[in-house]
Formats: sequence, C-alpha cells, structure tokens
Amino acid sequence: MWHIAKRELYDNLNSLRFALAIVLLIGLMLTNAVVHLHEHPKRIQAYNDGVTEYQNHLMASADESLYRLAQKGPGDLYKKPSALRFCAEGSETDLPRQAIGGTFRWSTDRLESAWILAYPPVDTSLGNLRPDVTLVDWSFIIGYVLSLIALLFTFDSISGERERGTLRLILANAIPRHTVLIGKFLGALISLNIPFTLAILMNLLVISTSSDVHLNAEAWGRLGIIFCIALLYTCLFLALGLLVSARVQRSAVSLVILLLVWVSLVVFMPGTLAAIAGDSASPKATHGFYERSWQLHNELRDQYGSRWRQARGDSRKRIEVDGAYVSKDAEQQEQLQEARLKQQISQVNRARATTRLSPVTIFQHLFESFAGTGFERHLQFLENVKVYAREYREFVVDTDKADIESLHIIGVREGMSEKPVSPEAVPTFEDTLNFSKDFNTAAIDLLLLALFFLLLLSGAYLAFVRVEV
Amino acid sequence: MLTTLIRRELLDNLMTFRFAAAVFITLLLVVTNTAVLIKDYERRLAGYNAAVKMHQRQLQETNTYSAGEVYVDRPPNPLSIFNVGFDKRPGNEVKVAHGYVPSLWDADRHGSDNPFMNIFTSMDIVFIFEVVLSLLALIFAYDVLAGEHERGTLRLVLTNPVRRGHILLAKYISAMLCLLVPLLMSLLLAVILLTNSAAISLNTHDFLRIGGIIFASVAYLSVFYFIGMLISAAMRRTSTALMLSMFVWGFLVLVYPNVTLAVIRRLEAPQPRTASAFNQIEQIWEEFDRARKHFLATDAFPGEDWGLELRGGGSRHAYLWNTPRTLLYTYESVIDFETLGEEDEPKIPHAQHHFRFLGRLVTDTADRTWLIRKPALEDIFVKPAKVERAWLKLSPIGLYDAATQAWAGTDMLGTRDFFDAVRQYRRQVITYLYDKDVFGSREWFSADKGAPDWGSFPQFSFQRVDTHINAKRALPDVSLLLMINGVLFIIIFLIFVKSEV
Repeated sequence: MWHIAKRELYDNLNSLRFALAIVLLIGLMLTNAVVHLHEHPKRIQAYNDGVTEYQNHLMASADESLYRLAQKGPGDLYKKPSALRFCAEGSETDLPRQAIGGTFRWSTDRLESAWILAYPPVDTSLGNLRPDVTLVDWSFIIGYVLSLIALLFTFDSISGERERGTLRLILANAIPRHTVLIGKFLGALISLNIPFTLAILMNLLVISTSSDVHLNAEAWGRLGIIFCIALLYTCLFLALGLLVSARVQRSAVSLVILLLVWVSLVVFMPGTLAAIAGDSASPKATHGFYERSWQLHNELRDQYGSRWRQARGDSRKRIEVDGAYVSKDAEQQEQLQEARLKQQISQVNRARATTRLSPVTIFQHLFESFAGTGFERHLQFLENVKVYAREYREFVVDTDKADIESLHIIGVREGMSEKPVSPEAVPTFEDTLNFSKDFNTAAIDLLLLALFFLLLLSGAYLAFVRVEV
Repeated sequence: MLTTLIRRELLDNLMTFRFAAAVFITLLLVVTNTAVLIKDYERRLAGYNAAVKMHQRQLQETNTYSAGEVYVDRPPNPLSIFNVGFDKRPGNEVKVAHGYVPSLWDADRHGSDNPFMNIFTSMDIVFIFEVVLSLLALIFAYDVLAGEHERGTLRLVLTNPVRRGHILLAKYISAMLCLLVPLLMSLLLAVILLTNSAAISLNTHDFLRIGGIIFASVAYLSVFYFIGMLISAAMRRTSTALMLSMFVWGFLVLVYPNVTLAVIRRLEAPQPRTASAFNQIEQIWEEFDRARKHFLATDAFPGEDWGLELRGGGSRHAYLWNTPRTLLYTYESVIDFETLGEEDEPKIPHAQHHFRFLGRLVTDTADRTWLIRKPALEDIFVKPAKVERAWLKLSPIGLYDAATQAWAGTDMLGTRDFFDAVRQYRRQVITYLYDKDVFGSREWFSADKGAPDWGSFPQFSFQRVDTHINAKRALPDVSLLLMINGVLFIIIFLIFVKSEV
C-alpha cells in the first residue's frame, strides 16, 4: 500500500498540476495574510473606539443620576472581532457590529421614553456601491480552490491508468484492490497536502510574526481543529474524484463529470438552496414595522389617558401611572423588536439548515464556528447582549431598592432614588466567545461531513471492486 | 471545403458526452434558478406595492403639510433576474423633503426585507453563465488542436488542399454552434418562465435588452473558447492543455476578482475628505440657524422660539440633525396642530409669515449644501467603486458582468437614474409648494381650517431609460470583449500556422 502511495506521490510531484497548485495556493494564502494584517488592526481600533464611547456614555449617565441610567440605557454594545477572521470571513460585513441599548424615542414635557434593546441592520451596506466579492479567507481558498485542485489530482487516478493500461499491471500483482484504492487515495492526499500545508505555514508565519495580531494558545488550538476540518473536507473531494474515476472509462469524461458536479455542489447549491428556503417564509408581519410601533405607542397613550385624568391633583398617584406607562411602553416596544428579530433569525436559520445539503456549506459553517465569526457567532453575541441587559436592569432596580427614600417607580424622575451612583458599580458589557457552545453546534456539522466522506469512499471502493480491467 | 470541415467538426462535437452534459447542466441550473429568481422578484414587487400603498395612505392621513412625509419607492427591475447588479443593494425607499436633496445614500430599505438574508450569495442568470459557460467553453476547446495533434489526424487533414485558417475557423464555428445550444435553450426556457409569471410584464424594449445580454454572452463564451484554443495550440499534449485550462479558469473566475479587490480595497472611506466636506456643510447650516434666529428676534413677536408661542393642540418638533458618514445635514420642523386656541388667532399671520420665510430658507440652504455634498459623495463612495470595477474589467468576467448590467439597467448608472428622477421630483414638489404658497398657508401647521389637498400634490413617476442608452452604456465593455476575441484569434492563427505537424 505504501509502495503504491509512494509511487503515486512521485508521479504527482513531477506534474504540472503540482507546480500550478503550489503557486496558486501560496499566492492566495500570502494575499490572505497580508490583507488580514492590514484590516485587523483597523477592526480592533473600531471596536476599541466603540467600547470607549460606550463606557463614556455609561459613566456620564451614572454621574448624573440613577434615573438617567434607567432612562438612557447602557448605549451601543459592540461585538468583539475575532482574531481568526482570516480563516472565515463569515459574511461579517453583512452582519451588524453592534446592538443598541437605548435610543431616544419620544419625550413629553414631563416624561421620557425608557431604553429598550434594538437591533439595527448593518449600516454600511445600503450605500455601498463597491463590487460584491467573496473575500479571500481560508474558507474560500479551501472550500473553492483546494476542492477544485483535489478533483484535478484524482480525476485520472484510475481511469488514466486504465487508459494507459498500467492498471492491469498493478492488479496483476497479488495486491487486494482495496489496498490499491487506499494507496492511491493516500498518495493523492499527501501530494495535495504538501502545497497546502506549505501555504498554510507561510500564511501563519506572516501573521504570527506581525506585532499587530496576537494569537493566544486557544487561537492556536482552534487553528489546529480548523486544519483537521480542512483535511477532512479535501478527503471528501478526493474520494469523489476516485469514485467518478473508477466508474468512468475515460479520464476526459471523468473530468467533465467532476467539474460539473463541483460547479453545482460548490458554486450553485448554497445560493440556490438558500434562496429557495428563504423564499418560503413571507416576512409579512415585519412589514410596516415603524407604523406598527407608533400604532402601539399611540394606543397605549390613549389607554392611559383616562387614568391620568383620574390621577389629576394627586401627585403620588400620577407618578405611579407615569411609571406604569413608561415601563409598559418600553416593554411593548422591546417585544416588537424581539419579535421582528426572531422572525428574521428563523428565516435565516431555515435557509442555513437547507444549505447543509452542500458539503461546502457544512464546511463553511464549521470554519465559522471555530473561527468565531459568522451568523452563529452573531447569535451568541445577541445572547450576550440580552444577558447583559437583564443584569443592567436588575442593577437599576436593586440600587433603587437600597434607597428607602425612593418611591421605587422605575422610569420616572420623581419616583426614583436621587442618591449618587458610583460609576464602578454599574455592570459593564464585555462580549465573550464561548468555545463549548461552538463545539455543540459544530459537532453535527462535523458528523455530516464525515458521513459524506465515508459514503463517497465506500462508493469509490464498490466502484473500483467491480471495475473490469 | 469549409462547410465540409464544419460539418465534420460539428458531428464530432454533437455526439460527445460533454455536449450532453453541457446541455443538461446549463438547463438544470438556469431553470431552477430562474424559478427561484422569479419568486424572489415577485416577493420584492409585492413588497414594493405594499410600501407604495402604505406611504400613500400615511400621506393621506396627515393633517398638515409640514407633517406630510412624502416617500418615493424604487420598483424592482424585472431584468434583475438576468443580472441583479445594484437592484437589491441601495435602499429602495427615499424621503422627499424640501430640507435636503435626496441621494442614493439617504435611501432606506423597505420594512419587509430581511437584512440578514444578505449573508447568502444571490444568484442570477449571468452569474451561472459566467461560471458554467466559461468552464464548458474550455472543456470543448482544450483538445481541439492538441488532440488532433496527438492522434495524428491533423497531418491527415493537412494533406488535403485546405488552408490552415479554414481549419481553425471551422473548428471555432462548429464548437460555438454547439455551445450556443445550451446557452440559447436555457435562455429560451428562462424567458418562457418569465413571460408565464403574472407579475412580470416584458415589453419590446425588454426583449431588445435581453437580446443585448445574449450577444454579450456569446462574446464572453467566445473569449473563453479562444483561451482554451490558445492553450490547446500552444501545448502539444491534451492532458497538459487540460490542466493548464483548468488552472487558468480557476484563476480568472475564482481567484482574480477576489484577490484584486482584497488587495486594492480599503476598509474605510477617505476620512479627511468626509470631515472637510462635513465641516463646510455644517457651517452653511450654522449660518442658516443664525439667519433663522435673527428673523425670530426681529419680528413682531420677538423670542428665540420657533413655534411663535402658538398654543394649539397637537405635536411639534424642530431640530437640526445630521449623519456625518453620508454627509447628511438637514433641518426638520413639523408642526401638527389639530386645533388652535382663540388667543392664537392674532398670531397666525405672523406664524404664516415666519413659516414662509423658513421654508424658503431651508430649501435654499439645502440646495446650497448639495453643491458641496454631491462632489464629496462622488469622491467618497463612487470613485473607489469605479476604480474597483475598472480593475475587475481586466478579466473577461468583469467585462461581461459590466456589459450585462448595463443592458439590464441594473448598473450603477441605471440605479443613479432613479435618484436623479427623485431629485427632479423634489424640484417639482418645491415648485408646487412655492406656487401654492404652501409654506405660508394655514394648512402648513394647523388642521383646524381644513386638511391639505394631497390629491393635487405632484406624483412621482420613473421610467427606465431607453434601450439605446442601455446600448450606449454597454458598448465599451462589449467592444472590449470583441477586441479580446480578435486579438486571441490572431495569436492562435499565428501559432497554428507556424506549428509543425
């Protein structure tokens, strides 16, 4: 078996495709590293600026009063950029960078709206006239380019031998067919991995020698996992190449079939499936969102009109009605925001689940979850934001409770504690990446990918066993 | 002789597996994607119609002119099914007000769109052609000369008294005829699907535009066929030619567009330009604010307040607001009184005088800032985009994409046509406001003596440009594609003539 693998390896090393693959992969990986070194400090800078702004906002509110904290909210909460974004861009440019904890909605001469969590759409994409391209990240290089190269390495491995008549010679020896197949597979895997590993090492060398990007031990661990996933993914395409090559008589036909399969599987299936799945959900309820929001607000105001009239003259009662009104309004509006977000997310999740039929999407999801980018990561960020919002609200209520002079009516200036708040006590938001959760979502993807691979490899074995020489 | 050669080549090609596979895969991809794209278009159209209806209703329900929010919606382009271009990305609703000049960067998204869905790549028919047709062309071309050379049949053919140019021409024509079969069949099916959809109505102009797209597709296909032929002529062995073709394809289709942009792209807009233009605009608006305050301080009811102390029942707000990123700066004042008190009656002529003055001042200031904002926006957003597109055009894919976008009207110019129309509509609205003295009318701020006459308000209409303008915009790219064809043919001819059999 090793003999066959070695022979296969020597064959490949001298070929044109090996040289071209080396040049292409190294070029791409170096571009990736250079671009990352250029872009990443900017992203970190933008994040740090955002966090500073958020902290200043929080401190300013805390200095003023507890009421200000309860009314204005924590401010914009930023998503921490991942240091491994060069592995998978994960369409981060189409995902929002922050969630908003409190914007001005309305005010009257007496009352101001209480803060709510809002989820702004990404702000830069609408006016962006630049051409839309896939960014050159690892997931593109491996998902598209390396998979194509894997097919180019295997399309003639069996049919080519048969054409030249050398297959008969090999099988004339006392070697079982599966050994031949595995040998060929290993040979192709090793010869493909030489340029690939070389390119990845160069990429990492460039990235790690730079002072701008710091990769900690956990990041290196993640990179290791990512490399293994990449190996599994290339194995998948090598097995596909062997399968078709064993079934088909001529290598030219084998290549045509493989290329067309590749094009449909890798290039078209993700987009088409997403469009089909995304289409089935009609987002009617989100239509006229702002109108619905105003309608709710106005209805509530009318509803409270009579209660205000009843409370006229009684200042204590008026404050109570005011407090109930402000918190009810905030609750309603936040529910509306949540409902819209939930609907949008479920549409995306449906589309993402459907695209799993294509191995390249599974692979991209895996990359994203280990690189800490993409949609799953965004959901995690939103979860963090919600946890923080709860904490923040609890803080306001608890601080207010600690003051016995206060009327404990949150959201109204006269109803809340007027004692100074120490800025250090206010909980601050820090976005974190949770690895174990990553792994849970990734496990199914990993399993699917492995299943695809085993299916194709056994298919190749069955096809090869039945080959007549 | 030429016809004999063509017939021979044609028969050779038609009976192959690759021909069947080419037809099958193109039809499959185009038909499924067209069905999906049509549904997508219908959804967008429904969203557009709902938005138009909603905006009209909201306008009708408004009690005063100053509270009226006039929105203009951008209809989806039916030809975006062929090349989506800019049809989805810039916002599709934009507010028209006298306080600012609307541009592409002020547009917003219809409420029905899900911004998260942008994380999926959207397909269109031209994208399928870009990827599949180029691949098929190379698959058809890689062995066209090298194969004959290997088998030794070239020698046999050349023993007959045929010119070498004729052989090349025959091979080219027959392969192109074969490749046109999947192209035309799939387009035909796509058009049938399009015409069957109730939501899409195509007129003669649209069919001409589709014709333009087909022509560009043929030119593109031919470029890739020539590239394959060139490789085949230069290489002696089919396997080498095949490998090289595939790598060239991978480079041109997958690698080049992405790598170039990754290298030349800068994440942020040029900051100094944004800041300086914004400062200028800010100064103009500060000047406006001074003029406004001066007016208020010197009129019959001196005071700082903009509301002239009217005591009506209703809501009012007025403020300057801005978005530095898009250089938007404007003054918004909405006074929406349902009733006015008895004591307000003597103040009303003064209020009318004030709002008449304010309306004109705001309009003029907005027009003045536009003179600064327009070139700045051009520098910040349009120029880098143009540079990137120019870089992409170094590859045939970029040329093909640009040409089909121009034909479909979803290119940058086509999209900006819409916003030009919106700006023209704003002028129309302002002329109407001046003519009817709306700023100085009682209905501007109060509904107590009758509601505004929204019925006679100017209506917005937008027509896509004529086909000849589409053709003019597509011409440079299409002619470049044709030129590449010519150059490649000459090179192949020279190599083939010089080659020894």
